[in-house]
Amino acid sequence: MKRKILAILLVTALALVMVAACGDDTPDRQAGDSARGMFITQSLTNASQAFSADEFQRLAGEFNIEMTIAGGDVADNIASIERAIADGFDAIFINPNDIEAVIPALTRAREEGIIVGLFSSQPPEGMAETYPYDFFAGSDDVLGGIQAGEFVSQQFPNGANFVEVGGQAGHIAAVSRHDGFRQGKNDNIVELASRFVTGPWESGEARDIMEDFLVTFGDQIDIVWCHWDNGASGVIEAVVAAGIDPTDIFIIGYDGNSTGYQQVKDGLQALSVGQSFTNMARESLRMARTMLDGGTVSPRLNWIPVDMVTIDTIDSFPWPAW
Amino acid sequence: MLKQEALKKKRLNKVGDFFMEYLVLMAIVALVIVTAIVEPRFLTANNFRNIMGQFGPLSFTALGMTFIILGGFIDLSLPGMISLIAMITLSLFDVIGEVPAMIFGMALGVFLGAFNGTLLVRVGATTQAKALFITFGMSQIYGAISQLITGGHPISRLFIEHPAPITQNLSSGTIGDIFGFSSFLDSIPITFIVFLFFLAILFIFQKKTVLGRSINYTGGNFLAAELGGIPTKRIMVMIYSICGFMVAIGAIAAFSRTPVAAPEIIGANYERDSIMAVVVGGTSLTGGRGNVLRTVLGVSLIILLSNCMNLMQINSHLQEVFRGAVLVTAIWLDHRRHANA
Repeated sequence: MKRKILAILLVTALALVMVAACGDDTPDRQAGDSARGMFITQSLTNASQAFSADEFQRLAGEFNIEMTIAGGDVADNIASIERAIADGFDAIFINPNDIEAVIPALTRAREEGIIVGLFSSQPPEGMAETYPYDFFAGSDDVLGGIQAGEFVSQQFPNGANFVEVGGQAGHIAAVSRHDGFRQGKNDNIVELASRFVTGPWESGEARDIMEDFLVTFGDQIDIVWCHWDNGASGVIEAVVAAGIDPTDIFIIGYDGNSTGYQQVKDGLQALSVGQSFTNMARESLRMARTMLDGGTVSPRLNWIPVDMVTIDTIDSFPWPAW
Repeated sequence: MLKQEALKKKRLNKVGDFFMEYLVLMAIVALVIVTAIVEPRFLTANNFRNIMGQFGPLSFTALGMTFIILGGFIDLSLPGMISLIAMITLSLFDVIGEVPAMIFGMALGVFLGAFNGTLLVRVGATTQAKALFITFGMSQIYGAISQLITGGHPISRLFIEHPAPITQNLSSGTIGDIFGFSSFLDSIPITFIVFLFFLAILFIFQKKTVLGRSINYTGGNFLAAELGGIPTKRIMVMIYSICGFMVAIGAIAAFSRTPVAAPEIIGANYERDSIMAVVVGGTSLTGGRGNVLRTVLGVSLIILLSNCMNLMQINSHLQEVFRGAVLVTAIWLDHRRHANA
């Protein structure tokens, strides 16, 4: 009998706690109030994401947002979103490994009143209106590729041959840069060959590929379209090792990191297509703050332009810290 | 009549054994002939120089892995080890100079390898399966430490102020650059010479010393080796230490190939490719049988395969299919050899 009474009391207490928890305990937010944000990204082994995380933490104070960083694979991304929901975070900034796999978790986060900002990864094609997000800030890899293609078309009005040293095979950024370049270049820029690295953006493999290209095509190569600046380092090493002056080949890298900048400054690399992760982080935080203060964000898709870093323009950009 | 049939069968078996034993060599010859016909530039001096240059990091790590697999174990900690050794060594360039930093890196390799071996002994991981999971975990730890040290940022040689002539010339320089002569030898990369040096030492160690032969016995039958008085636990620590040292040399070769080393990217896939090189070469995955010369064949096949497919302009994804097929075939052949033994 005692046990039954105890059980009834416990169940009643539990029910009361649950009812209390269901009540609206969200404090009234005043404009400018401190808020908590979580930057959920792909593996922090990716230097650009590690730098982005640093920038979020550095800039968050300006917007009175306290940042937490979480990186990892798809499962980690989902777990981090669930943690943000459980811990009552105010905003999520996410660059997921798989943009579609996180849809259910992000939908739940928005239902819980959390602001969702996509960082560097735009909604899948055709889902700009239906995807569970509040805003997006990032560069478009296709657009970056297009700009690079247009740039070489202007540099070589009489035509030229190019080889492509692509980023990680199958990676969305590599595919987008590959497609964009072909959209941007004119018909006078002729493809000799295209290869993607099998490792995760490994610059040693970029060198291996370039060495083989030099054997196959030799001095037919006018342009190298390399999908990342660190890969362009490998390309330059291969060119130098083959006894060719790197200034004789128009080498293009992507990212705009400090290595790319230095190579452009040293005249080894003709162009670095730069992504400004600082501006992306700042825009993300600004839009989150606007929404936290009760405002609305328009447009939701916020494209951060890429920088065309050449020896002539390099001094007009701040030196990247990554 | 029966005797004739038996003789015929014996002859066929011999042919079969020969094919089994030298299949890699035949695959290499076939690959060279086919590529030379399809793409004549394959036979140019420049391409041979490239191939020798590409022997760099993988050949060193695969030599180290040979001892692990010979001893009946496996080591998946290579990516994390390479990352940690490369990041620490490069970070020290501006602090203590290039040569002391490299010596520190090699010592760190031996330490990490010995730590792996000791850990396996302590937890009683005397099977390949247990070693697989523990070393995988260690790779995560080493990789994460390299991330912590660098904050996830790559280290670029472009920003190292201290002169680093060895690093700059190890992969791009040739012995002609050092000795100043001009001949065919002029085009042999320095890394290839370093590779031959370590190959000779490790071959002599494995074949001509008691300790070296003990590795084969340990890998052939761990329990029997232990009962036979072989210090199997010390052998375990030793083979992981040798592997650690070779991984350190591989890490140095890796960051000498390109000026940028990014944590956890620099060592990615080296465990896969090293195991593949060892097994494709013909060293038994179950341990006990094989040697470093076979690994050279395995590394050669992997590098040539990649080089030939690039020259023949085979699609990147299709190249991965071929690599996977080679590994599966090698393991199947190893199983066949094991069954016939």
